[in-house]
Amino acid sequence: MTRAERIAFVVPRWSREGTVGGAENLLGSLARRAAAQRDVEVLTTCARNHFTWANEREPGSETVDGLTVRYFRVNEDRDLERFLDVQEQISHGVEISDEEERDWIDHNVNSRDLLDHLTDSTYDTVVIGPYLFGLTWHASGIHPGRTFLVPCLHAEPFAQLRIMHRMFAQVRGFLFNSVPERELARRLFGLRDARIGVVGMGLESFEADAGAFARRHNLTQPYVIYSGRREPLKGTPMLLDFVHGFRRRTRIDLKLVLTGSGEFDAPAGLRPHIIDAGILPEKEKQEAMAGAVAFLHPSVNESLSIVILEAWLAGTPCLVTAFSDVMQYQCLQSGGGLWFQTYPEFEEQLNRLIQDTELRATLARRGRAFVRQQYNWNAVEKRFYDVIDGGR
Amino acid sequence: MNDSLFQIGAEGVDTVRIVEEIQAAVDEKIRDGIYPDPEIARAERHNLQHLQSQEAFMEYYMNCLRQAAYVDINEFEIRERRALIAPLLVGAKRLIWKVLVFYTYRLWSQQNQVNGLLVAAVEGMDRKSGRKIRDLETRVARLEKQLADRSG
Repeated sequence: MTRAERIAFVVPRWSREGTVGGAENLLGSLARRAAAQRDVEVLTTCARNHFTWANEREPGSETVDGLTVRYFRVNEDRDLERFLDVQEQISHGVEISDEEERDWIDHNVNSRDLLDHLTDSTYDTVVIGPYLFGLTWHASGIHPGRTFLVPCLHAEPFAQLRIMHRMFAQVRGFLFNSVPERELARRLFGLRDARIGVVGMGLESFEADAGAFARRHNLTQPYVIYSGRREPLKGTPMLLDFVHGFRRRTRIDLKLVLTGSGEFDAPAGLRPHIIDAGILPEKEKQEAMAGAVAFLHPSVNESLSIVILEAWLAGTPCLVTAFSDVMQYQCLQSGGGLWFQTYPEFEEQLNRLIQDTELRATLARRGRAFVRQQYNWNAVEKRFYDVIDGGR
Repeated sequence: MNDSLFQIGAEGVDTVRIVEEIQAAVDEKIRDGIYPDPEIARAERHNLQHLQSQEAFMEYYMNCLRQAAYVDINEFEIRERRALIAPLLVGAKRLIWKVLVFYTYRLWSQQNQVNGLLVAAVEGMDRKSGRKIRDLETRVARLEKQLADRSG
């Protein structure tokens, strides 16, 4: 086993405050931890906004707490119209040609300057993700024998592209976030000769005041909570419809707390019963989770649900859609939550959680124990180094 | 990678059993006709893409759709909860209803007709494709048996 002393993390965006996407936060937190033990650099773009990908900050570098971050400009000459046109076709499951696939990846978010830097570099190991960015695809081909991919893979049309087979076939190894994600990658790409590990992300344990959020918002009724991006891809419309249906059918005065960002269009009858807390400071988010009857997660597209792990640490059981293999797996392995396929199952399960405080406490206790055992930083770092050092 | 790393075997309840029990209870309630109401059809509209493979659920969903397809256009009692101005508001609402009834009645009758035809068409297609699939399955089974008999 040879230690990888110089490690580069390639991520599309970087933020010290953790205000980028889930996959980027995951890679960022791994990089910060690794910087305490190895010589780590983060290679990223000057973009902050994942819709515009405008170069909002100056290229250059900064070093914070021993971690060097290098910023490179996003290519501004990409053909956005062509990219969006092909992306639309892929999203709708239209069969596209090799040429169109190539256009999609070439006109995706990319940085020529970053790729040049990587080409001239002498990093022992390059950790790249998530899989569906042009930057990831192109960067993974520069030193494939030293590259480990953190795919954050979902069962979605983009994962079916032929062009993805090339990337998954050439890199040295993979750091998956969950066992179902690894199994999906095996089904799609084979991964015969690769070095593979299920690593995930570490979380610090915390204690939260379960009554603080309710007191702050003068809430006397029970509430359920969802935290994260509010958008159709995350299943928010279904969540709103389900909670609305639950309130009307059971006549239980249940409130819905939403934290995070994004617009949503709730049924008119539900609107007075939603507490839209927006993006909360970490402590307040933890308190909001701690006081909830259950954390609801309706999203199918997850490679690891960090918010579920956070809810368990806050002492709250989860209710998730069974159509997410990953979240169902998380609930199964931990014993910290239940999973539903249909509205009637959701109604029965939520009703049970509201009535049965003992069940709620047991699920929460098991979820918390699971996170503390499997997603503490020592366990995550061990799995990380087992893959990148063992794979050399 | 040993997957058992991700299992902790903590003491407590068996979540698989709870989920199965709840599924069984739901199935029974579906058979008893507890769930077919428009509220559920509305709640499930964003979940349908995931449910397409669930045969039993589609059957129950069709029931919900049948209930939801027809808009009640009959006369109804006009009420007002704000007690102080209730007589005034009820009077105003009655007047609006009377003025608009000839128009809304015609509109909703046509809408009900369209909804009814659509439900009938979906049901017809569902029955037809179901019958076709059953015939094909029977045929495949018969051919497989013939093949096995010949090679045996």
